[in-house]
Amino acid sequence: MITTTDLLALLPLIVLSAVAVIVMLAIAVHRNHRLAFLLTVAGILISLITVPLVSDLVPRLITPLVLVDRYALVFTVMAYAAGLVAAVLCWEYFRVREGHQEEVYLLILTALLGAGVLAAAHHFASFFLGLEILSVSLFALIAYPLREIRALEAGIKYLVLSGVASAFLLFGMALVYAETGTMEFAVLGGRPGTFPSVIGTILILVAVGFKLSLVPFHLWTADVYQGAPAPITALLATVSKGSVFILLLRYGLESGVFRVPVVSVLLALIAVVSMLVGNFLALRQNNVKRILAYSSIGHMGYLLVAPVAANVVGGNLAAEALLVYLAAYFAMTLAAFGVVTVMSPADREAEELDDYTGLFWTRPWLATVFSVALLSLAGIPLTAGFIGKFYLFAAGSQGALWMLLGALIIGSGLGLYYYIRIVFQMAQAPAALQARPEARPVGAHLVLAILLLLIFGLGVYPAPFIDLLHPEINVPKQSAAQQ
Amino acid sequence: MNADLVQASNLWPFIAYIAAIMVVIAAMLVIPRFLARPSRGRATGEPFESGVVPVGDIHVRLTIRFYPVAIFFVIFDLEAVFILAWAVAFREAGWIGYIEMLVFIGILLAALVYLWRIGALDWRTERQKLQDARLQI
Amino acid sequence: MLAALILVLAVGGLLAWQAERYGANAPRWIALMTLIVDGALLIPYFAGGFPEAGVWLDDIRLHWIPRFGISFHLGLDGVSLLLVVLTIFLGLMAVAASWTEIRERVGFFHFNLLWTLAGVLGVFLALDLFLFFVFWEIMIVPMYFLIALWGHENRAYAAIKFFLFTQVSGLLMLLAMVVLVIIHQRDAGVYTFDYFDLLQTSLELNTAWWLMLGFFIAFTVKLPGVPFHTWLPDAHTQAPTGGSVILAGVMLKTGAYGLLRFVIPLFPETVADFSPIAMGLGVAGILYGGMLAFAQSDMKRLVAYSSVSHMGFVLVGLFAWNALALQGVVITLLAHGISSAALFVLAGAVQERIHTRDMNRMGGLWTDVPRMAAIGLFFSVAALGMPGLGNFIGEFLVLLGAYRVDAAMTAAAALGLIIAPVYSLILIQRAFHGETREIHRIRDFGARELALMGFLIVATVWIGMYPQSMLDVSDTWLKNSLRGWGEGVAQPNDSQPPGERLADRGEP
Repeated sequence: MITTTDLLALLPLIVLSAVAVIVMLAIAVHRNHRLAFLLTVAGILISLITVPLVSDLVPRLITPLVLVDRYALVFTVMAYAAGLVAAVLCWEYFRVREGHQEEVYLLILTALLGAGVLAAAHHFASFFLGLEILSVSLFALIAYPLREIRALEAGIKYLVLSGVASAFLLFGMALVYAETGTMEFAVLGGRPGTFPSVIGTILILVAVGFKLSLVPFHLWTADVYQGAPAPITALLATVSKGSVFILLLRYGLESGVFRVPVVSVLLALIAVVSMLVGNFLALRQNNVKRILAYSSIGHMGYLLVAPVAANVVGGNLAAEALLVYLAAYFAMTLAAFGVVTVMSPADREAEELDDYTGLFWTRPWLATVFSVALLSLAGIPLTAGFIGKFYLFAAGSQGALWMLLGALIIGSGLGLYYYIRIVFQMAQAPAALQARPEARPVGAHLVLAILLLLIFGLGVYPAPFIDLLHPEINVPKQSAAQQ
Repeated sequence: MNADLVQASNLWPFIAYIAAIMVVIAAMLVIPRFLARPSRGRATGEPFESGVVPVGDIHVRLTIRFYPVAIFFVIFDLEAVFILAWAVAFREAGWIGYIEMLVFIGILLAALVYLWRIGALDWRTERQKLQDARLQI
Repeated sequence: MLAALILVLAVGGLLAWQAERYGANAPRWIALMTLIVDGALLIPYFAGGFPEAGVWLDDIRLHWIPRFGISFHLGLDGVSLLLVVLTIFLGLMAVAASWTEIRERVGFFHFNLLWTLAGVLGVFLALDLFLFFVFWEIMIVPMYFLIALWGHENRAYAAIKFFLFTQVSGLLMLLAMVVLVIIHQRDAGVYTFDYFDLLQTSLELNTAWWLMLGFFIAFTVKLPGVPFHTWLPDAHTQAPTGGSVILAGVMLKTGAYGLLRFVIPLFPETVADFSPIAMGLGVAGILYGGMLAFAQSDMKRLVAYSSVSHMGFVLVGLFAWNALALQGVVITLLAHGISSAALFVLAGAVQERIHTRDMNRMGGLWTDVPRMAAIGLFFSVAALGMPGLGNFIGEFLVLLGAYRVDAAMTAAAALGLIIAPVYSLILIQRAFHGETREIHRIRDFGARELALMGFLIVATVWIGMYPQSMLDVSDTWLKNSLRGWGEGVAQPNDSQPPGERLADRGEP
């Protein structure tokens, strides 16, 4: 039975859904870009405000479907904040472009809703629902500039492949359900893993791997990243991947899937291959969005260290490492794509490496943000990325995953090369001093400044954030059982 | 252990079924290679329509307007399934179920309003709309 | 006080960057003033004298990331004090040397310069492994910019090579650190990155071997030891003069410092087993670096390879790990810092004037620039180990100390003393003597450069004539490191021959 407290605990999700409906009606009544944007921003802010109110009520299992706990809430905050950033970037991006732009915000809201559901999912049904809400919103968002051939191609590509992945997911779930008779993660943990259910689990992991663009399911990544509008790519790279990762860790821990030897070996293998292949493919790219796409494959590989290590080090450290890394990854990825967005003139996107030549001397502020974001992605100390990487090192070496850590080091080395290449390009003398860009999008610059502060803040003094995560993350129920 | 064995034995039909599928597919792909005479005639690639050479484009292009309308129908029709399921369990669901259903229908209505306002329910094509607008003037 | 040392440089760097709008000279003066202020901060440490007991002259410890027991822990002892002084001194020289060379983006140049120095100071002061690593990496980024932006023709390649070598090896070190901390945590129950706590970690020999290797590689890349030296000639050659001065004079010393501060005390047993290999690498560095230096026609490249050779002595001395050798190491670090900095300034000055570093296009410059040539001769002679100048003392002590550990190795290393004159003199011979191959109408050293070189000459002569003044500063550190570390923690030191004490300390 649902009680009022349950509803209160769900407030962040409920408010967001209500905002989505309101924005939809607002578009119906009065189509206005500014109105839709402001409503969305206000709505996300209100949902964010509800989170601290809720944080006293957790952890709370609401129906078998949804488990709202600290782990989910922390990620929800991150995802909503990322959505906010993406909305602001969309505002700057679509304002200067033609067509009906209001629905972008609607779709961002639903995507966030999907991410929120995924973060709290505790059951195959909510897993699937969350994933589909998120994915369907993303199809439309990626292909939003309908007249752009590449965006359309990217949208179709993502749609078709995502559909295939969903089919795998459903089949996997069906197999697991057929064997164990339950769809709840926690209950699954108690059931013995038989052959078909292991197959089912692997199928589920295939689908998850597709969403996370892990090698060998990464083929869509570069094209979709390149084709999608830059702010949408930012959303895709952060919210979509982050929420699936959050779910992966919860699912794996609670259902005990990581303890199945085949699965953990497969995950480790996928992690190593992703780190190496992703970073390796990024080396040869000359398109900034594609570089970031391949680098994200590598980063997802790094992140996989946390779930793989979870077996040995327990859910606590793994969840903490995952959240810290995700927070860092969100900040730096959003900053990087934010710069790409702001750099893009109205008729195209600034995605070639040449567009960035001499940026330090023509637009020093943007160049600074971009290089800090890239250095953070490379994991240089004093930036958030380093703290994240440090956490992975800690988790990995506690789990004695030497092969993974070796790949991490090699991947980072490769990564440095192409990140520094962009920075170097920006530091070159510009070919010709172009006329200074006339428009100064205030909102986007504000957002970039905040992201910059976050990157440095997390990198220089992460203690408050870690304290926020550390003691009370509540995934350890199952991990206690393993030890 | 015993349970595992039982389950494994239950699996055999399943595995046999998959194996049979594989064999059939393989057979369908491989056997024609040996049986069929390779024909590389001038007209091999052309569509065969009772001996008449086709004229014109065979890709009939339906207007895109059919698709949204069809999809809207499916969507709203599907929602009826949920309402039906709720109606069956009306008493068990109680007031909370009732309120939930109100919210559900409310959202559906909002979506309908939205669709109506953006003109998605308008049957006419863009060209027809333009013509009508001109007629009115 | 210690934090202020680093902070002053960091803030000064930001100021210098912003000061560019007030003219090109503003950042230069600000950088100069910043370094002078920083130097002034050090005076109290000298004024106070050096106590016999208690290694640490100053100490600061603040919580940073309590979750992992990471603290902001800086400490200053004799050897770090010497290196800090060297850093600030060479920083001043670097600013002075780039006064006319750098004409574009002056503010950003000095920002990077000062931040590199701040990172280096941090490395010399940090007593928390995490903090050490942060500084270790921090100094690399601005250095990368120095090379990449103001470097010479092949700067992109050189900069990225430098960056990759140091970063990747740094990650190995980070991994080793984390593993060390985790092993310590399993024993003691708490996470800590603190140097003194980790000193007491007991390790299995096998694990210790791998961990030591992680640290060793990172430091040897920086030093550079022989298999990992290939970034150095490129980076040194392509960097602007100021950058080369910092690189050769200061940054290479961080590698040596890391070895003597971390590798040897943390893994004493393993190091004892490992020292033949390390000394072998050192000897290889001496000979190989010397021979390659001889073969260069690029002036800066020659000096760069000579650095490889000199750093080989440091490696030999460190792993010999006895009083004489360590004193030699300290002196070599200082003397090499100064002499190589001077040679790079000289090479930079030549390049600024005739726009080439190719010695085949020089020759007969003595008649045009007698002052420059004389100074060049002085430092070449210093580098080759003329008695009475700094380098001689250092290398001699190293050889003396190493002889007790491994005579054969020392004999091979001593061959370096024969190679050094050959390549040092060939530099003078080809650049300043001989026939004039191309006519260059060039200026001799002006007042600024003469003053700069004057300082360096005085420093070299001082070290050569009165090394005891330096050794006094590092004396307490030395005793302690040989007896056992820190607050009365006795640590066995296998590599030290029994009965060896500081009795035979001093000038030869």
